[in-house]
Amino acid sequence: MTMLRRSPGRRVSLATRNVTGVGSIRRRCLSLLHLGWSGLGCLSLLALGLGGCMAGMPTPMAGLDRQLEQAGNSRAPALSGRWLALIAGRGGRDQVLLVDVERGLPVPLPGLNRPDAQPMSVAVNREGNRLAVVRQLDGRTELVLYRRELMALEPIAMQPSGVPRRISLSGDGRQLAVEVSRGGIWQIDLIDIP
Amino acid sequence: MLFGPTGCGGWSWGRRSAGPIGLGDGNRQDPALSGNGRLLASIVERGGRETVILQEQPSGRLLPLGPLQRQQPHRSPSLSWNGRYLAVLVQQGSRRLAVIEDRATGQLQRLPLPADSEPQRLSLAPDGRRLAIEVVRGGRSQVQMFDLAGLLEPDLPGGLPTTGGGLGGGVPATGKP
Repeated sequence: MTMLRRSPGRRVSLATRNVTGVGSIRRRCLSLLHLGWSGLGCLSLLALGLGGCMAGMPTPMAGLDRQLEQAGNSRAPALSGRWLALIAGRGGRDQVLLVDVERGLPVPLPGLNRPDAQPMSVAVNREGNRLAVVRQLDGRTELVLYRRELMALEPIAMQPSGVPRRISLSGDGRQLAVEVSRGGIWQIDLIDIP
Repeated sequence: MLFGPTGCGGWSWGRRSAGPIGLGDGNRQDPALSGNGRLLASIVERGGRETVILQEQPSGRLLPLGPLQRQQPHRSPSLSWNGRYLAVLVQQGSRRLAVIEDRATGQLQRLPLPADSEPQRLSLAPDGRRLAIEVVRGGRSQVQMFDLAGLLEPDLPGGLPTTGGGLGGGVPATGKP
């Protein structure tokens, strides 16, 4: 826990100061520091070697990251329960994905994605059976609720009218917070969902 | 709350604006509900800098934050189930960092990210076990997942709500957190 209060660079400095006999690993890690995630992975190896000294590092979920990379550009992540909802795609054709993080697999979302819609943000509840999505369709921005077990899509109108952007769903999927632009001001609406 | 069929065959759902915060009619952005729905984090502008605020719902009462309140500008807040953890992106110099405040202890944890990755958005799993971060690297947007097991105690449904920020209880909505 304490280690995470330090910057990555300082963390390595501490490791090099406290450890002897791991010089080769240390030198490799120092050389990898500027190489991105591989450097972090090496730091994780160091953490294993140092026991409690380096405990508490966030561990990259490399397998899942690789799968996400294969989906193309990805953005707007939303975690709840075992589910990761996000927007991913290639060549400007984005779609909403729902990934079972524990199995590392996406699940089908029949009726949600359509080629003429551009998703902008997404939220999911703990059971993964409700997704809220803001998307652009036919030149306008709309908020919809997708009930996965019903494969049904339902629009949620902004009242008073406004343009939705970012959203957040409570764990039970019955409360929705929506960032809405009205008259040039961003506001937040809270909506109870039956 | 009014629930009932409308003339269009849809439903009229209960709606309200997020509780008043006593800060005028400025922008409020980036909403994030706690898993239990009792807390709402959002971003407002204070002193020209984007600042995260935390409110109980539906009262709108502002809750204090610990060291996080000195790390503006803030961006993309995310809450755990009972609101024990508040994850947010902060700016330090030229770097944008992901941090997590533990409101039960008042501790702030900085999460290391590679220097060539610019975090844009984050999402903390309600139980605090995983973190998803959208980063831009080499002009490409990518979601990266992190396992936080061993780093954070789980914040599970049925746990005790956290009302303090390591600094005492909440403050009235009209006060400054």
